[in-house]
Amino acid sequence: MNIDFSMVIPYLPILFKAAGMTIVITVLSQAIGTFIGFFLALGRMSRFAVLRGVVWTYVLIFRGTPMLLHLFFVYYAAPAFGLTLEPFPAAIVAMSLSTTAYNCEILRTGLQAVHRGQIEAAQAVGMTWPRILRTIVIPQALRVCIVPYMTNFISHTKGSSLASVITVPELMLSAQMIYSSTYRAIEILTAAGAIYLMLTSALTLVQLWLEKWLRFDERGLSQRRRRQLLLSAGGNG
Amino acid sequence: MIEVAGLSKRFSESILALDGIDLTVQPGEVVCLIGPSGSGKSTLLRSINFLEEPTGGVVRVAGKRVGFVERNGRERRLGAREIAAQRAEIGMVFQLFYLWPHKTALENIILGLVEVRGLSTAEAARIGHELMAKVELSDKMDAYPEHLSGGQRQRVAIARALAMNPKVILFDEPTSALDPELVGEVLAVMEKVASEGMTMVVATHEMGFARRVAHRVVFMDQGKIVEQGTAEQIFGNPQHERLKRFLDRILV
Repeated sequence: MNIDFSMVIPYLPILFKAAGMTIVITVLSQAIGTFIGFFLALGRMSRFAVLRGVVWTYVLIFRGTPMLLHLFFVYYAAPAFGLTLEPFPAAIVAMSLSTTAYNCEILRTGLQAVHRGQIEAAQAVGMTWPRILRTIVIPQALRVCIVPYMTNFISHTKGSSLASVITVPELMLSAQMIYSSTYRAIEILTAAGAIYLMLTSALTLVQLWLEKWLRFDERGLSQRRRRQLLLSAGGNG
Repeated sequence: MIEVAGLSKRFSESILALDGIDLTVQPGEVVCLIGPSGSGKSTLLRSINFLEEPTGGVVRVAGKRVGFVERNGRERRLGAREIAAQRAEIGMVFQLFYLWPHKTALENIILGLVEVRGLSTAEAARIGHELMAKVELSDKMDAYPEHLSGGQRQRVAIARALAMNPKVILFDEPTSALDPELVGEVLAVMEKVASEGMTMVVATHEMGFARRVAHRVVFMDQGKIVEQGTAEQIFGNPQHERLKRFLDRILV
């Protein structure tokens, strides 16, 4: 068997287009999962036991069952409940359900890592909870959960390949279709793998940048903020 | 300025942190709370600004009931917004500073002015600069808490409390977490604040500070006020056995 990677070249536009779909379903579902996951994390910390219980059950179910099953369920079982979705929206729904559960737990870890005294100090100057959350808790929580968050993001990127089973034209499905007509599995899978690695490497770079950005004391204030704080009050900054 | 009547706080079946506290603090008065750890000093301070919700009794600051409103003889718990507004009038300085690590010293001081009082950043910064000068940290404006010594951190925390222009400041063992050589600079700032007429309630183990600055010293034990008086009375002529034992232990 002779391996010839040059045969991949004509298929690259198809693979890149499919990679575009991988990016869209991953980023969109991760964005939804972050947004909802954040509120679930707050719900998990609520003083209302019922709310805590509901969120806990959600996480138990959707973190405890395979995303592949969620995809099949939303795509094939939903019509039984009178809801028929195209592959793309079905994938977004299923992938969001799954990553929401993980994001809920990751964000909760960050929120709960903020020391109680940090919040009390903010209460003591008369701040209300939404302000405390925005100005004190979230900035500190981000620093704690950025690494697990990006780890989940990367894992989710790879997991998006499962959407191929419900015929979403993403990278894995396209690769499969190409090698099943060309019988060049090694070359095509290698190319697809390289593209996945590029995507996840990009996320790793984003993570490094965010980690750096969140070391506030090393970053210091922006020029604009520095001017506002130091020069406006008399120019001795 | 502060009236505490019949205040009690029960944390659990077996832990009664405050057991019927009555205490009145006059405007401009400096009251030092002394007593062994676990005697309820912290809980008393935290009840005054409603960080702890009392089990029973009444707290008034500047004539206003804290945490509740009374109407037609019935009491209703205030909403979160109203409680926050009351807390803005009551400064608090914590043993472990609790400066916000993601904000510079100056930002720590002005956050309340911007977020609670609604001042512009520039206006708030102007006040912040004055306060940084007052606590003698003008050269540390844009230092992050991590890069400050404990004494400097606590001075920033005092400036943060002062920024809100509160009616009273509560100090919860402000020097207990400091290295001995850093205690003096914090006490000096507190003395300055006291000399300007601020009403202060200070839980402390610094008997020297209590002697110099306190108008009244209150000795607490097991959730009760056991004895109170001027510093001379409390340190020079203690009446209760428990206070004598406490002073023997602490003034060696």
